Amino acid sequence: MAEKTVKKAAEEMLIAGIDLGTSRSAISAINGRKKWVESYVGWPKDFIARKVIGAPILFGEEAVNRRLSLDLYRPLQNGVIKEGTARDEEAVKELIHHLIQLVQSKNDDRKIRAVVGVPAESLKVNKVALKKAVAEYAESLFVVSEPFAVAYGVNALDNAMVIDVGAGTVDFCIMHGTVPSEDDQRTVLTAGDYIDQQLFSFVEERYPDSDFTLNMIRRFKEKYSFVGEPQKSVKVDIPVNGKATKHDITEEMKRACESILPAIIESTLELIAKFDPEYQDEIRKNIVLAGGGSQITGLADCLQDALSEYGPSKVNVVDDPLFGGADGALALAQDMPEEYWTDL
Amino acid sequence: MATRDVANSVNLKNTILQGVYDQNLKIKNDPYEPNKNKTSRRGKPVSKILILVFFAVVLFGVWQVHTGNIAMDEMDRVAADPAKAEESSSIGPLPAVAAETSESESLSFFPIPKQVSYVMGLIDVSPSVEFNTDRLLDYSLILNNEAVRVSSVFGLDVRTIVVDPGHGGKDPGAIGALGTMEKDIVLDIAKGLKHNLETSGRRYNVMLTRDEDKTMSLSERVDFANAANADLFISLHVNALPQKRFNVTETYYYGPPSDAETLKLAEQENKGSGISTKEFENMIRKISNTFKEQESANLAMDIQHSLFTNVKKYDKDITDAGIKIAPLVVLLGVNAPSVLVEISCITKKTEELKLNMQAYREEITTFLTQGTMRYLNRRNLHVFEGEENGRKDRKKGS
Repeated sequence: MAEKTVKKAAEEMLIAGIDLGTSRSAISAINGRKKWVESYVGWPKDFIARKVIGAPILFGEEAVNRRLSLDLYRPLQNGVIKEGTARDEEAVKELIHHLIQLVQSKNDDRKIRAVVGVPAESLKVNKVALKKAVAEYAESLFVVSEPFAVAYGVNALDNAMVIDVGAGTVDFCIMHGTVPSEDDQRTVLTAGDYIDQQLFSFVEERYPDSDFTLNMIRRFKEKYSFVGEPQKSVKVDIPVNGKATKHDITEEMKRACESILPAIIESTLELIAKFDPEYQDEIRKNIVLAGGGSQITGLADCLQDALSEYGPSKVNVVDDPLFGGADGALALAQDMPEEYWTDL
Repeated sequence: MATRDVANSVNLKNTILQGVYDQNLKIKNDPYEPNKNKTSRRGKPVSKILILVFFAVVLFGVWQVHTGNIAMDEMDRVAADPAKAEESSSIGPLPAVAAETSESESLSFFPIPKQVSYVMGLIDVSPSVEFNTDRLLDYSLILNNEAVRVSSVFGLDVRTIVVDPGHGGKDPGAIGALGTMEKDIVLDIAKGLKHNLETSGRRYNVMLTRDEDKTMSLSERVDFANAANADLFISLHVNALPQKRFNVTETYYYGPPSDAETLKLAEQENKGSGISTKEFENMIRKISNTFKEQESANLAMDIQHSLFTNVKKYDKDITDAGIKIAPLVVLLGVNAPSVLVEISCITKKTEELKLNMQAYREEITTFLTQGTMRYLNRRNLHVFEGEENGRKDRKKGS
């Protein structure tokens, strides 16, 4: 059945998996193209800005760089579209449209069939708004939770747990051979953005005269984040009175990154403890760490050590955290029977 | 054996795909506008209806041309005697409006009478309405528009922050099983918050409504904040619940109550407000103050987020009651954006024990500071819809 779907799709449809993240969104299409963009959408503030920018809308890094001329939105910042904010819904819609365009070839007017992975909390709260946002650009689509898409992609479908460490949220999802219900999922708000804020305040406290932005802090984190013992000291260039100066932020980086650990460990234990006791050991040995936050050096080991106190544990990190969700969503889309697409 | 494994795997996937399909079918059946571009089976009857309506309109136009000036006569009749016409009309004041139709309009092929929205009252929605340049000076377009962040539009800054430790003096507030009084806890936390904000490097003028154990009415607190020209007002409280096992954190800003419990809390907190009816009338006028509402909501959101996510590390069972809207007089009376924070529940014994510890109170103070600073950073950075993107030097106010 799945084979038939794929064959038909290759001819008539462009099948895609989309991972709509709080920080980054990615798309993986059946034509082999993979693209990602930071989840920012910006509209020119006025007609002057429109003229200067030369485009009616900007996305991702380009939007961040031109932020002073834009009304900038990060529509899923805290894992949900804020209710009643039409502009956020519009931003989601535009972001999806942009992603689809990135994987479409010139003159490719094939209709789109997509599986869209969204933060677990958003699936709970905004499913209708999300579906509405995507509907305009896709012939048929399914919306699933991000961690579930990851689980499908790595075939962790039974007695497994996915922890998706994103920017706005950490999503937990237990897989037990069926689509996870709300009870099988948890969301914690202390994620990548929280580390940025913590690191910002720690560095500011230690180096009050240095001049840096939250974006710089975010870049430092993406390059040097770690938990546990540092392998080497973290030294970064930050201007002081206009002059680039080396700053040692090893201790601040460690404190900021470790600030999200208690909530992750606690939620993992809590979710496992609620599961059927016969399978708890098996789940602990089959934990998958995904999302951008899974790249924090030492995070998987640290989590594994903490869980080992409760029994043998194994935490694996997905091979490609950036496209893990999109690839999983694409795998789901490829396996989806034709009649399911037609009905939706 | 291997064949059986493959079969099991296929069955597992089929079950899951079926589950995804069922879940999405439920979403599909939610009442939302279907895809406009899609030629679904659902769409076909709609298209047919639209085609029929189109033909009906064309036929009606042709009929009008052939039957002379019936519509014009009707309008003339209406112009001559609107009251009479109204009697004959089953849909209200349409004829009265039709009387305004100009000659040029009535000579057009399809004369378009001025329209009235019966839902919105007398709002002119005629396509031929002239653009009113006075509207450019109408600030209500901004002030009543929820999508526009007023503080960003006018570049409003924060200089004075008033922190209000609830209760005090003869009014102990909530009392825990061990005798801990709300008034003492919130005073200590308020002093810490004042210190933290003052030393944040942003030169805020932070004032406390009371810095000692003294009785203050709500009216006095409101007057204090307004006299100080407060730009922000943060009232600190500790909650008490009849269910002793529960610990809850919540943050309020002014508005009609969201539920019965909130109304009850408002009654408790408003007791002995000392506010006269006249003063209350003046307060009510402020209700539509969009700026205050927007900023209060943003401040509440940041404080609540910081408080809950951090306190949860100490009490995993704590409930996030979220941001609530309640008719609390102290929040209405203060001109500035205002919030009331219910930090946690003193009625839970373990929480009461923790609140008695200096280290824990300091932690709470830090969380409140973080939330407030997050709000201030985002506001100063002219952030749109919650995005932080500005430069640190601007944040410093340089």
